[in-house]
Amino acid sequence: MTERVKKQLELLKKREYRKLRSELPATTATEQKGELSDMEYFTFYFETVLGEETPRFYGDDIFGFYRSKSKLPRFVGVHVGGNVTVDYKTFLEVGLSGIREKIMQYAPNAKDDEAKEFYACGLRCLDAMEGIAVKYRDEAKKTGNQKLYDALCQVPFKGARDYYEALVGVKFLNYVLRVPAFHITFGRFDNYMRPYYRASLQKGVTEEEILELTQLFFISLNFDSDLYSAVQLGDNGMSMLVGGYDKQGNETFDELSEICLTASESLCLIDPKINIRVNKNTPLSLYERGAKLTKQGLGFPQYCNDDVVIEGLVALGYDLEDARDYSVAACWEFIPSGCGAETPNAGHMNFPLMVDRALKTGLVYSETFEDFMKRVKREIRLQGAGLRDSVNQGLVNPPRMCNVALSLFISPCIERGRGLYDGGAKYNNYGFHGAGIAIAADALEAIERAVYIDKIVTKEELIRALNANFEGYEPLRQKLIAYPKMGNNEESVDKKAIELIDCYAKDMSGKYCTSGGIFRAGTGSAQAYISAGKEVGATADGRKAFEPLPCSYAPSLTARLNGPLSAVQSFTKYDLKNIINGGPFTIEIHDTVFRNEEGEKKVAMLVKSFIDRGGHQMQINAINRDRLLDAQANPENYPNLIVRVWGWSGYFTELDKAYQDQIIKRTEFSV
Amino acid sequence: MLGKVFSIEEFATFDGPGIRTTVFLKGCPLKCTWCHNPEGQSFQTEYIRSPNGCIGCKACERAGTKKDGKVVLTADSIAVCPRNLVRQCGEDYTAEALAKKLLKNEEFMRSSGGGVTFSGGEPLSHAEFIIECISKLNGLSTALQTSGFSSGETFERVLNAVDYVLYDLKIIDEERHKKYCGVSNRSILENYATLARSGKKFVTRIPLIPSVTDTDENLEAIAKFMQKNGVNYVELLPYNRFAGSKYASVLREYVVDFDESQEVNKGEKIFEKYNINYKIM
Repeated sequence: MTERVKKQLELLKKREYRKLRSELPATTATEQKGELSDMEYFTFYFETVLGEETPRFYGDDIFGFYRSKSKLPRFVGVHVGGNVTVDYKTFLEVGLSGIREKIMQYAPNAKDDEAKEFYACGLRCLDAMEGIAVKYRDEAKKTGNQKLYDALCQVPFKGARDYYEALVGVKFLNYVLRVPAFHITFGRFDNYMRPYYRASLQKGVTEEEILELTQLFFISLNFDSDLYSAVQLGDNGMSMLVGGYDKQGNETFDELSEICLTASESLCLIDPKINIRVNKNTPLSLYERGAKLTKQGLGFPQYCNDDVVIEGLVALGYDLEDARDYSVAACWEFIPSGCGAETPNAGHMNFPLMVDRALKTGLVYSETFEDFMKRVKREIRLQGAGLRDSVNQGLVNPPRMCNVALSLFISPCIERGRGLYDGGAKYNNYGFHGAGIAIAADALEAIERAVYIDKIVTKEELIRALNANFEGYEPLRQKLIAYPKMGNNEESVDKKAIELIDCYAKDMSGKYCTSGGIFRAGTGSAQAYISAGKEVGATADGRKAFEPLPCSYAPSLTARLNGPLSAVQSFTKYDLKNIINGGPFTIEIHDTVFRNEEGEKKVAMLVKSFIDRGGHQMQINAINRDRLLDAQANPENYPNLIVRVWGWSGYFTELDKAYQDQIIKRTEFSV
Repeated sequence: MLGKVFSIEEFATFDGPGIRTTVFLKGCPLKCTWCHNPEGQSFQTEYIRSPNGCIGCKACERAGTKKDGKVVLTADSIAVCPRNLVRQCGEDYTAEALAKKLLKNEEFMRSSGGGVTFSGGEPLSHAEFIIECISKLNGLSTALQTSGFSSGETFERVLNAVDYVLYDLKIIDEERHKKYCGVSNRSILENYATLARSGKKFVTRIPLIPSVTDTDENLEAIAKFMQKNGVNYVELLPYNRFAGSKYASVLREYVVDFDESQEVNKGEKIFEKYNINYKIM
């Protein structure tokens, strides 16, 4: 690591810079909408927010574009959307002037008033963007930041010519879109940066210099990481992918992808959160590279299996080229790059709750276990219909202001003269998570065995025990706990999980929402592992009422597990391309496993075996329980302890206790 | 034939090449003062309590019994624990049942060049069971992790059955070995010579215990002994400060007469002197 990188890193870690942000005069626009249309109101908001921003540099900064205000002006009724990956590629090629040119090309033939308004507002948004870029350029000149000044004479106005300019461009675009929205991700970073990387190498820039630039860029992404949190600090959508098939189906992982991994590994910061796209031909050496990153305890990389994801997306109706070019939204949801206005987290299927409902309403009427299973599936379909209704009735997303600024970088909004959520984007689909599948399968297994096979408890008594949260039923609970659990590679219980997942996936497939989009089922949980847990009383697997569910696609927190080999087998039995909204198989591995290269290699083998068996997505936490407990008790000693929370990594001591506790609980049976 | 297993670790990362499953057999004739698997020492089934999450209510101890004046947990202790932390330690398997269980992960082990490792406790104390189990593993690669303490005949029988051996050398001086490990090391040194002659793949490992095994005198004696047997590679395992962490679960106190915090002597110079390559694990 060069001195320069070290210095910026130290500056970041001190966090003193946060004090330099100013509070914004509490501009609250409530009346100002007046006669403004939604698009005009958004544009006014966008202009106001960017207009209030002032340039700032931290240390020997060569990027800039940080938020200068700790709070944003409040505009009532502004809901701008986000959680998308924009078209960085085109932007880097043509710059803002190219985007402007494109609007000018389409504006004269605007098909209707909405399109006219879109183009007019689009030009205003571009003005606002150029405005802040000019402010930065002037400030760079004033402060003698020649390197950045030179770059800002080119980007973001015109296309980038080398790697550094492209980095400045990406930083700029992400900043201007992120400030008023949320979760604007970085998409396939190495893929769109590759031409500029090659151009720089041709100009004589060395690989070491590219690495240094990448490190400085990654550091710069962390300065604002506390400002964009959706649920918890760190949940800020700063994810990126490296490697994977290109649109023609060729593997792209190369030296630049490698540089991204090296930069991340050397810095140990929560952002950007790295995803590696892999496939059946990915060599073990790349997984070993990933394991070295996991070793840092960051909770990433996350692995996405191209072979499964692409096929799954095509089956859902995505064009092959778009499917091959997929990104992940903030966490793990598979979305198209630069052409989607997806809402991949429109709600969740709470699997244990479906079992619970069937149990309370129909266990006593179920002659056989098969009868009961039918009732559970019926609950899943009913819930599925409810989830779709919630989308169709506009309950999921309040009517979104047309985010004109964002739309300019999502195709083909400009061609169509429409905002991304109003028919401008090529894809406008809705996805749902699927939380707690293991708990549901475990509960069903326990019900089948205890009630129908071993007959150790009557239906009524079981319901009483669950209603009582096992108070006075501890011996029964122990017997329930002892039944097979998902994750131990036992057919009977795994089969139940497969049935439920398949029921959910099939129920969602082939149905369309009123906006014309499709519905996608997934295996993620997002924060639902806490909130969905609170929806479910005691479950027949022995889990007590309202306890958290396992995170995403993972075994129960209280099950005694054989180990990761069995878990990998349990969790790859289902044909996962059918449930491709995303949601990683998640395991915790004790950090001592990583203490030498031999251990890293074995972790790599484990990940590879999951992918080779048809796993869709995986994330691993290198974790040390003692350290987490100590950090909970003495947070002051652990300001930089990073953990994976759900689809993102954050600083452990900045999390709410419920999230801390769930992570600690995950480690009780860690390998 | 039954074997008592106290743990099966599916993803053992330090017990040989590739993805390995390690079977821990219960019971050990040695009593090393630094033993980090106290639950593996007794040949009997025990009931143990995980300290993680224990609220200290002692319900398990009240449901327990007394043995030699000390409280031990029983099967009754399991149900009374409000946190579900008490479990049975030691399960009897037939060789068939164990082999069948291990083969569920056969594909992982084969494709990674790994296999099954028998550890303990002292696996040589369960020789016949291991040999029978190996015969049912479809030729999967097997390893033995051992102190080497057994009769020469038993050792040779097991050696013939396995593909790889991880062999501990602790202390060369017999009296000190008796003091710290509870038994004479004569058979251990003899079996090591047998191993070295056998042509079987193996690795020698030395647990570095401060002032016990890591003294210059002992390390030099080990190096000499290895050289005499024509061995030129050793793995050094520095003392792990968490060695005592499992004692609470068997309601025992971890008492050692050496300074745990003392930096271990790795004796690099000594091994260099005897032309032995070493790797610190």
